[in-house]
Amino acid sequence: MNKRISDNTLGKIKLIVLRVIVYAILVFLTFLCLFFFYLMIVNASRSNAELATGFSILPKGNFFVNLKNAWNDDSINIPRGMLNSLIIAVSSAIITTYFSALTAYGIHAYNFRGKKFVFTFIMAIMMIPSQVSALGFLQMMNKMHLTNSYIPLIVPGIAAPVVFFYMKQYMESVLPLDVIDAARVDGSNEFRTFNTIVLPMIKPALAVQMIFSFVSSWNNYFVPALLLDKAEMKTVPIMIAQLRSADYSKFDMGKVYMFILLAILPVMIVYVILSKSIIKGVTAGSVKG
Amino acid sequence: MEKIQTGTGKKLKSVSYAKWGYIFIAPFFLAYIVFTLVPQLLTIYNSFFETYRIGLQQIGPNFVGLGNYKALFQPDPNGTILILKYALNTLILWIAGAVPQFVIAMLLALFFTSTRLNIKGQSFFKTVIYMPNLIMAAAFSMLFYTLFSRVGPIQALLENWGVIDHTFDFFAIRVSVRGMIALMNFLMWFGNTTIVLMAGIMGIDQSLFESATIDGANSVQVFFKVTMPLLMPIFVYCLITAMIGGIQMFDVPQVLSKGDGVPNGTTRTLVMYLNGYLKTRNLGMSGAISVIMFIITGGLGAIVYKMLSAPYKDQNRKHRERKGNVL
Amino acid sequence: MKKLVAILMAALMLVGIVACTAKPAEQPAAEQPAAEQPAAEQPAAEQPAAEQPAAEQPAAEEPATEEPAAEEPAAEEPAAEEPVAQGKVFNIYAWNVEFKGFFEKYYTVPEGVTVNWIITPSDNGAYQQKLDEALLNQENAADDEKIDLFLAEADYIGKYVDSDYTMDISKIGFTNADTMYDYTIKAASDVNGVCKGVSFQCCPAAVIYRKSIAKDVLGTDDPAEVQAAIDSWEKFDAVAAQAKEKGYLMTASFAETFRAFSNNCTMPWVDANDNLQFDPQITKWIEQTDNYIKNGYTLTAGVWDPEKTNEMFADGKTMCFFGPAWYYNFCMTNAMDPEKGCVGDWRIVMGPQAYFWGGTWLLAATGSDNTEMLKDIFETFTINEDVCTKLVENEGQYPNNTKVAEKFANDPNWGNTMILDGQNDTAIFAELAKDIKWENHTNYDQILNEGLQNKLQEYFNGSVDYETAMNNFYQLIKETYPNIKLPAA
Repeated sequence: MNKRISDNTLGKIKLIVLRVIVYAILVFLTFLCLFFFYLMIVNASRSNAELATGFSILPKGNFFVNLKNAWNDDSINIPRGMLNSLIIAVSSAIITTYFSALTAYGIHAYNFRGKKFVFTFIMAIMMIPSQVSALGFLQMMNKMHLTNSYIPLIVPGIAAPVVFFYMKQYMESVLPLDVIDAARVDGSNEFRTFNTIVLPMIKPALAVQMIFSFVSSWNNYFVPALLLDKAEMKTVPIMIAQLRSADYSKFDMGKVYMFILLAILPVMIVYVILSKSIIKGVTAGSVKG
Repeated sequence: MEKIQTGTGKKLKSVSYAKWGYIFIAPFFLAYIVFTLVPQLLTIYNSFFETYRIGLQQIGPNFVGLGNYKALFQPDPNGTILILKYALNTLILWIAGAVPQFVIAMLLALFFTSTRLNIKGQSFFKTVIYMPNLIMAAAFSMLFYTLFSRVGPIQALLENWGVIDHTFDFFAIRVSVRGMIALMNFLMWFGNTTIVLMAGIMGIDQSLFESATIDGANSVQVFFKVTMPLLMPIFVYCLITAMIGGIQMFDVPQVLSKGDGVPNGTTRTLVMYLNGYLKTRNLGMSGAISVIMFIITGGLGAIVYKMLSAPYKDQNRKHRERKGNVL
Repeated sequence: MKKLVAILMAALMLVGIVACTAKPAEQPAAEQPAAEQPAAEQPAAEQPAAEQPAAEQPAAEEPATEEPAAEEPAAEEPAAEEPVAQGKVFNIYAWNVEFKGFFEKYYTVPEGVTVNWIITPSDNGAYQQKLDEALLNQENAADDEKIDLFLAEADYIGKYVDSDYTMDISKIGFTNADTMYDYTIKAASDVNGVCKGVSFQCCPAAVIYRKSIAKDVLGTDDPAEVQAAIDSWEKFDAVAAQAKEKGYLMTASFAETFRAFSNNCTMPWVDANDNLQFDPQITKWIEQTDNYIKNGYTLTAGVWDPEKTNEMFADGKTMCFFGPAWYYNFCMTNAMDPEKGCVGDWRIVMGPQAYFWGGTWLLAATGSDNTEMLKDIFETFTINEDVCTKLVENEGQYPNNTKVAEKFANDPNWGNTMILDGQNDTAIFAELAKDIKWENHTNYDQILNEGLQNKLQEYFNGSVDYETAMNNFYQLIKETYPNIKLPAA
């Protein structure tokens, strides 16, 4: 046998084995990820009594009964909560990404005194967990009469150090300053340059961060729970938390699973729609640095 | 007018554009000062006072200096300093979830971007592995609780197989509760990290991989010599955000252990400890914990950033040098 | 030129931000100026958020602009009984929907009044936190934002009753307390005996047992004979051993008997000098439970855990449950499950020790601008015999109305068909209700009672030893109430 061919086949065999391993890992992880979602959907389709019997791998016929019960529940107005959460999450995703990009651009594209200090400062404050100032935050909002308002849940998004950091890193790799210079030569003013030239160039980063912000805002429980108590203003996580109180022994478990399903469904839909554009954006690649 | 300016040289240019830098970062700082800095200063200020409520009765604020800090580091009758115990818990829980998270995420990012492997169905896999990140931590934790509870399906299954007997309780064993929390954190975050790392890898100039391969580098060498250094900024970003998430760990252990950190407080995290003081609006003690957490995070962050960003800074300098030449 | 425009834009934006943060502070009286402000900054995305509440509740928002003038006199001269102008929004704080259900069924809201339910689950004290925040802010709140009525539980009612945040209900015209159970009045009264609210239920608690299991264990399922077999703790323990032999559990939660002991304490948890003290009843409960766990007479589940409530299905193995009338609705839904339940296989007896458990009180919040409606609600659920009768008949409640209770207790045709197959449980509860005393309660009870159970649960399920569990309990106290002096370790 020719040595060359055997090398070649060996390489091919290696590749096949590698592929099998990789696919096995992927399938396993996929299973792990989908299993809990699946279980939730299955459980959302079972009645309270069926749920008490333990594990079931197949869905039962109670799905629409549970859906109707959950949707029309009078103590937990889930449609309203979903609308509230949607309003907050969309606004804060837009605000967060736009202003973080603006700030990152301010630091990336301009030279000014104290720039280094500003950058280090933002890096430092990035590390401070939001919960540690929760009580001070609440005190402030009480004084400013901003409890039961969505402002404290949306506007602080302007100062999002983590998103800023990502944007800054991204701009460093895809945004050459030459492009900005070129825009200036063409007579574009700084704001227009940012809005019409820079933003389209960092679209993939915007999309990624928009999703991240949307999700974290949608799932945020700690701060909204401190600030909102009016029934018509409550967000989904507050409603979900209501389920786990002692009273939940009173709840129909099928309904509970349905609530959880409803709580995560919109995010999943948004993600499935947007994930395509992200992946496309990343693959297409923008200006290389 | 503008054209003339650009023509007259860099000095004038940098002067005339500097203010835009300030204008662009102004909203960030305004929002930061109002919504974060002032509350943080309030928190620090409060940490020097005895102030809490017994029912509706307000105690304090009485200035106690470092009294709250002293109280935090006072050992209990068993000689345990609780805040250290909870800090250690937080660290253990984070590491147990983060190590697999980063290893798997890095592997997946490499698999997905490898042209040689040419993985099919990528968008499906990517969509799926990111999904757990969307689920509300509290809801996910609730699901785990029901699955592993004494009446849950897992207990029933294992009992049927004779692996455990009826008195077995997942929530009475340290390793199993910590394991569940780590597993949940892993599941929730590895997809996220994969996607971000992938975006990073795909941002790297393909020609660099090609030339490295032509130079005879094997895939391991390519990874360590080309991919990793160029990926460093994004990797540091992931690591730091993961650390921040780790320090803030709350929802998952809180729901899973019903706020008690069972068994014996071994799954109680720093924020859960902090949360305990919020019940009575104990601004003094919670302020002191906050300050300590701030110091811990600051220290850790500085170390990680210094350690990992060294090569990245080199590269950045080169970048700037090149830029300088162009100008 | 373009630069100028850009600077202007930036300046506008900054002003927008500053305005939206500063303005509300300047004019605290304005209803919700904050909600409209961000429009300057993010018009499209935020607008709906700001407008939502208004769109949802036209009734609530509109009068707000006209009302204050009309309401002023009400606040100034509360003595004037008749022409008091009443608010259009009635705010109720609660931690669950139990009362909401009764309220909606049996109370007719006056025309033009909107009732707002602000419900926060009581987990980890969250309800009290929210309520406290709102009460402390009550003075500054607009009239339609003020709490009118709030619910409180036995474990922490004292905290609110002994404060200025609740008001004397005789001042709003509620004086007819003759038919209410004495302890419910005492619980809602401050140290000077001024009553601040009422309860719509009375909560004597008893032992609810499975008929079929009793038959198997004791050879009889007759309530009188079962009662004779368990009328003291010694006998109860003996029956537990018998049940175990037959493969049954005596109770399904380590904390099932807790209230039977803790509500018979002879001294409060914390004395006048802030010293923590263990009542002999508490010590006795710990001993009994320890014994039960070691012998396998009970489970390590908490009182609210599904592991316990699952024992109420027909295939459950547990003989006794401890609870008052609200227990049926609240904890026994599994027993009433159409597929797996066992309605009718239950009977009720007094058990080893008379006690009460829980109860929900309705307290009048100081500053309410709906005093007439408050009085109306109080009367509806206490002295309105029609409503009290319906509470018993349709809801399985035990009413806070001695007349109605006695009527049912003495009615040979009355029986609980909801779960007890026609046994007259009202008669049992009526007997027990006579003995309920309200004493030795402190404002710390909720944290101490729940904390002790939670920390000892870890000892009972074997994850820590007794000393560690108690130490954890002390640490919890230290964390929550630094003023309480712990026993010297």
